[in-house]
Amino acid sequence: MSVLEVRQLTVDFAQRRGPKFRAVDEVSFELYAGETLALVGESGSGKSTIARAVSSLIRPSSGEILLNGKRAGTRGRRLREYRRAVQMVFQDPFASLNPAFSVGHHLRRPLQIYGHPREDLDIAVEGLLESVSLVPPTLMASKLPHELSGGQRQRVAIARALAPQPQIILADEPVSMLDVSIRLEILNLLDGLKRERDLALLYITHDLATARHFSTHIMVMYRGEIVERGLADDVILNPSHPYTQLLAGSAAGAIRSGRRQVTAPVERQAKKSNIALAELSETVSATGCRFRARCPHAMEICAERPVELSVGDPGHTAKCWLFDPKFRAKSTTTR
Amino acid sequence: MTLTRPNETSNKPANGVVLSARNVTVEYGGERPTRAVRNVSLDLRRGEVLGIAGESGCGKSTLAFALTRLLRPPATMIQGSVFFHGLDGSDPVDILGLDAVSLRHFRWDKISMVFQSAMNSLNPVTSLRRQFSDIFEAHVPEMSSDERDERSRSLLEMVGIDPKRLKGYPHELSGGMRQRVGIAMALALNPEIVVMDEPTTALDVVVQRDILDEINGLRKELGFSIIFITHDLPMLVEISDRLIVMYAGEIVERAPSEWVGQSPAHPYTLALQDSCPDLLGERKELRGIAGVPPDLRERIEGCSFRPRCPYAFGPCATVHPELIPPFAVPVEFTTVRDMSATVSVEEKSSLRQSPVITPTAGDWRVACHLHARELNPEGPPHELAGATRSGSGATTSQESGYNLASPPGSAGEGQ
Ligand SMILES: Nc1ncnc2c1ncn2[C@@H]1O[C@H](COP(=O)(O)OP(=O)(O)OP(=O)(O)O)[C@@H](O)[C@H]1O
Ligand SMILES: Nc1ncnc2c1ncn2[C@@H]1O[C@H](COP(=O)(O)OP(=O)(O)OP(=O)(O)O)[C@@H](O)[C@H]1O
Ligand code: SF4
Ligand code: SF4
Ligand SMILES: [Mg+2]
Ligand SMILES: [Mg+2]
Repeated sequence: MSVLEVRQLTVDFAQRRGPKFRAVDEVSFELYAGETLALVGESGSGKSTIARAVSSLIRPSSGEILLNGKRAGTRGRRLREYRRAVQMVFQDPFASLNPAFSVGHHLRRPLQIYGHPREDLDIAVEGLLESVSLVPPTLMASKLPHELSGGQRQRVAIARALAPQPQIILADEPVSMLDVSIRLEILNLLDGLKRERDLALLYITHDLATARHFSTHIMVMYRGEIVERGLADDVILNPSHPYTQLLAGSAAGAIRSGRRQVTAPVERQAKKSNIALAELSETVSATGCRFRARCPHAMEICAERPVELSVGDPGHTAKCWLFDPKFRAKSTTTR
Repeated sequence: MTLTRPNETSNKPANGVVLSARNVTVEYGGERPTRAVRNVSLDLRRGEVLGIAGESGCGKSTLAFALTRLLRPPATMIQGSVFFHGLDGSDPVDILGLDAVSLRHFRWDKISMVFQSAMNSLNPVTSLRRQFSDIFEAHVPEMSSDERDERSRSLLEMVGIDPKRLKGYPHELSGGMRQRVGIAMALALNPEIVVMDEPTTALDVVVQRDILDEINGLRKELGFSIIFITHDLPMLVEISDRLIVMYAGEIVERAPSEWVGQSPAHPYTLALQDSCPDLLGERKELRGIAGVPPDLRERIEGCSFRPRCPYAFGPCATVHPELIPPFAVPVEFTTVRDMSATVSVEEKSSLRQSPVITPTAGDWRVACHLHARELNPEGPPHELAGATRSGSGATTSQESGYNLASPPGSAGEGQ
């Protein structure tokens, strides 16, 4: 059974003028203990909004969240219990720690809040620091954030997330501000902790290479929707939704190995309109496929909203009419 | 602040250089000062993208701050010079000598900067409209309020943000959108130089490419130069004309980007490249470069990379490597080729004024003893550039590597 199940999550933001802005539109997914789900997608597509809604920092407009099969609490003790179980690690290791407080303080607080016995707080803090390899722990506990490197600060943020002994960690671009070397260290650390503690991990990133290497499944998001999902290797090696193809074809790694040639025409056609249209057709009441304006394969049917369709590999789906047998014939000529 | 100025006449940069820095050394003061930038010299050519890569803490941001005179205590530039060569043909501007008023005009107008933390450096309680207007009011007071809005909207559109958001506030934008606003602001006044410190860390590759294309298009049109700082070596190889790899505060390799991408000359550059996870390769355990960079508060004996270098040999422990040409430039690299895919040589020549100097083999420098004939007559191993490539018939003598005339501008650029 999944540890966390998100059903039809929808988040709207009020705008000064005009209708509400729908940042997340009926998104469903499940997280499993000991597994990592990667969430990749366009900048501004709603990834962080999902993380914020799931960690109950913002209130969704509709949808359901189940923790261990039970509806997540929305207030009082049950909300507290939910918040303990679901912890978040943010992108900016510089902004997420308070410069006035020591590392030890940052870790002691969540322990206290969640009722750790006072007597052995220090021992618990040291244990946390050791688990993220910040050693020697007593020295590290006394340091202030500015005395640490970016990678070390992110370790502190991870230790803080571990303090309440969560079941789930939502990591929102935890490594994109770090250099490659440190990036891999932190991802290996998260991966190890996930195994040791049987955590369920949501890894939000725009780096397809690490998404592939560190996760079991990948979901691809575009303008508030999940447009493709499947096993990590299937999604990266056999990207199916035209947006995923564009994304995978634009990565440096793909270009080095010649993949870019394959998708280049797709991209060129899409190119002209990209920037101009990047946001303009954002209004979510818009019907039809949201990628339509940029899609080189767009057909008449695409004016209707596509449904999730199997692309072949087990569990690998795309929200695109190309995968409906009725329209597939036509598409092979365009592809 | 006392500065030792090297003999400027001998180091005079050639035509086509817009910013020249010589022997820049920066320390963060304290009981044991951190020497974050060590004797760095570089020339930024008009219209080029110069990349700076290197691990965290190697001094990239500190160097960028030194070049734009944005260093704040406890940082001091203890040695070096930075000159700006404007388009108007007037005398070079000594950036370190500018008074407060001139400096204020100089920034944004001539040199602008996208900060590493651009995402969080926007004022959260001020609307985007206000933040754009502030820049215009300060620098182009004659602009009307309508013109300011018009220009702000087109800047937002350029980075793929709905112009309607101009009235909005930074907290209503996603991380990547805030980062894009930072880029738009840096381009607001058509500066001659834009320094971008990790400007795209929060962007997906498609948006990143669109924006880089857009910037590149503007660069073609307006002829400004870019210093682009990032950890992402593969990306940098693609978008820059030349690049510099820094390690422990120093330049360890400087080369035409495309060639570095194919055949780095410095062991550190190679390690950096190998540590980038490959999108389509085997799934395997990924590790970064083993070991950690040296403590910049210490004196560094010999080569700073030695403790992590798999190729270290005798002299590395005691002799500090200087920037020298690589042992031999692989023959396939000796033909001059334009590096930036989207700008042809002809197009470049029509830039505002002087033609862009195309990177050549003569631009290549590496600080590693493997390339020094006196210390290592065999030359470096095959995976590093300059190896004598037997079998492939591409065996190149040193001569064939550098008898290409060094382009002007490479002469004094730091040895
Ligand atoms: N408080 C808010 N008020 C209004 N709109 C908001 C608010 N927060 C987010 N949005 C909008 O919701 C959309 C999704 O934002 P979100 O931060 O989830 O994107 P993201 O996928 O995380 O992007 P990035 O990769 O750039 O971080 C964006 O268009 C953003 O402008
Ligand atoms: N305010 C400061 N006080 C003391 N030392 C500092 C300060 N800022 C930076 N340093 C040190 O100077 C060195 C270079 O830092 P810098 O920020 O220039 O590196 P960087 O290459 O930009 O790294 P990153 O990729 O993480 O941004 C580091 O060793 C850092 O610890
Ligand atoms: S549904 Fe149509 S427009 Fe949308 S991605 Fe598929 S083919 Fe393109
Ligand atoms: S000088 Fe020596 S230690 Fe330094 S990079 Fe070259 S081989 Fe390695
Ligand atoms: Mg985000
Ligand atoms: Mg930096």
